[in-house]
Amino acid sequence: MSRDVSALIRAEEPTACRERFVLEPTAWREMAEALPHAALPLAGLWADGAQVHALFMDGVAPLIASVAVPDGRYHALSPARAGAQAHERIIHDLWGIEAMGARGTFPWLDQGHWPVTWPLRERPPPAPAAPEGVEFTDGATMHGAGGTMVGHGPADGGFQAPFYLRLGLPGARVGTVSVRMGYAHRGLCARMRGRMPVEGARLVARIEAMASVAHQRAFSHALAAATGRILPEGEEKASVFLSELERIASHLEILVQAAGLVADARFVATGASLLERVRQVCRDLCGRRFLFDVLPPAPGAARKLVLADGVVAELRAGCMELMRLFRRPRGLATRTVDRGLLPADVARKWGIAGSTARASGMEGDLRRYMPASRPEWTGGPLVGDVTARLAIRLRECRQGVEMLAALGGVAMPPVPPVPEHGSGEGLGLTEGPAGPVWHWLRLEGGRIAAWWCGDPSLAQVQALPDILSGAMEADVALILASLGLSAASADL
Amino acid sequence: MAYLHLFAQHGVALSRMAPLDIFHVETGGCTACALELRMLARGLVATCGNMRFVSTPRQAALLLLTGSLTVEMAPVVELAWQAMPGPRALAAVGDCAVSGGVFPPNYATLGGVGTYARTSLSLAGCPPAPEEILAALLNWHGRDDAGAASPGQ
Repeated sequence: MSRDVSALIRAEEPTACRERFVLEPTAWREMAEALPHAALPLAGLWADGAQVHALFMDGVAPLIASVAVPDGRYHALSPARAGAQAHERIIHDLWGIEAMGARGTFPWLDQGHWPVTWPLRERPPPAPAAPEGVEFTDGATMHGAGGTMVGHGPADGGFQAPFYLRLGLPGARVGTVSVRMGYAHRGLCARMRGRMPVEGARLVARIEAMASVAHQRAFSHALAAATGRILPEGEEKASVFLSELERIASHLEILVQAAGLVADARFVATGASLLERVRQVCRDLCGRRFLFDVLPPAPGAARKLVLADGVVAELRAGCMELMRLFRRPRGLATRTVDRGLLPADVARKWGIAGSTARASGMEGDLRRYMPASRPEWTGGPLVGDVTARLAIRLRECRQGVEMLAALGGVAMPPVPPVPEHGSGEGLGLTEGPAGPVWHWLRLEGGRIAAWWCGDPSLAQVQALPDILSGAMEADVALILASLGLSAASADL
Repeated sequence: MAYLHLFAQHGVALSRMAPLDIFHVETGGCTACALELRMLARGLVATCGNMRFVSTPRQAALLLLTGSLTVEMAPVVELAWQAMPGPRALAAVGDCAVSGGVFPPNYATLGGVGTYARTSLSLAGCPPAPEEILAALLNWHGRDDAGAASPGQ
């Protein structure tokens, strides 16, 4: 059946972007009606004002179906793909384009404080007065059971990007979960329009600090596809090197957070020291503790990426020590087992990918399909609790160190030629620390005319009610930390 | 501690005996500054420093903001500020909080809080390193202490 839907899409009009096909509204509707019977995962849904685009994974190949929306409406995909809900609500908040028959129609990003409505339209109408407060519907179950409502965020003194979580607690376990997003929305889509690609690269580097290289790399792939440029192998090697360095830092950050929450002081001390060492290595190599502005490199950046003597051995020994501490009696692994369960079918339902999905037993590591990758670097089955998610991250830290050792020194990629008046369209993806990161862009006259970014965090946010329901309230912070979701990259 | 004021020389307030309580709010950036603050917080725990991050504004003396201020976070920051008791101060850490950085004002953001409000501590950088943040906090806290303890102020 996947073949049927895939063939239905591919039978339509092809575009300059080789993965994208423009469907007639009737064909789009047929596709939406056939989707419940097809195993074609939805990876993203977005609009550019004139068309709505749906990104599917056809096996390991991306496939984009587009439909024109001259009257501002299109047939919703959320009845067939639950993960489309947030995308449809975001499209409505930004463009005012309505998904007919959508599941969930409340605003996702626009909570009523923006000065305009549908801000990405050419002439956005002014917004009505801001609401006094927010009303949550807690449901008959919570009212019947009594209990308390507990809020997490958006300002709780923590160090994560802001979002709000409202938990209904009929007892010690979580009964209902409501999520409110939009606090971290910076209007990136509006900022990208009209920019030169080099300026755009500086901006995408700051979508989320823990996945900066992933966003830069996916953006550079999209730009190369749009301009018809083939990325040289040396440039790809440098990207892999920087990506793995970032992956190690991001995974260590999450592992140390989780260890802090279960008061494993020895793991925190060892992990935080190793993380600080990785940040110092980043600073020595690229001039910054976070890998901003490396693809393309900022002026004055190092010509070659070479780890100093003894760094690989130091990182390897640190990872081995963390694995020992993780698996020791009463260690992090035993204290987080069976908490925050995310079964594979729930992960599949919401379109969750990346290390979180791999921890649930799903396969989906895009790195194995990337150039300069080796099959033995990825793989392995797990059960989907906090322990599994942390174990996957720890394993990927060690794999990352081995990859750095195998790559050795790599030359920093040169600044690619910037097309002054080029036009084109391209899609790029890479496997970030949290999962697949997508960038799509359309160039017109050498400037970005339309742009979209897909990040794994949005699917995780949507899945929170399923993941947190039934969990102990005391474990909520630990479960959130193990997911590694970022409101900054979900809200953009 | 208030009764001690009665016995102080010249009747002035004593310097703060309590640690510096900092309430941090990430207001909409890439979270790099927040991650560096987290690293600093781990260091403070390790060294038992006279400074700590707290989880409620009702206990805080310093409101420390990172990231460009989004429209949705503006009322949240205002509520946190109003909830802080007694003498309070505002700090902006990182380019985005100081001046907006790469996220200047648009429909979703107001830019850097440093351009709207008077900050007691302003530290640029993208992001500033933990040791730079600690040095800035110690410098500011030391001046604050000296100012509070000196007679006639």
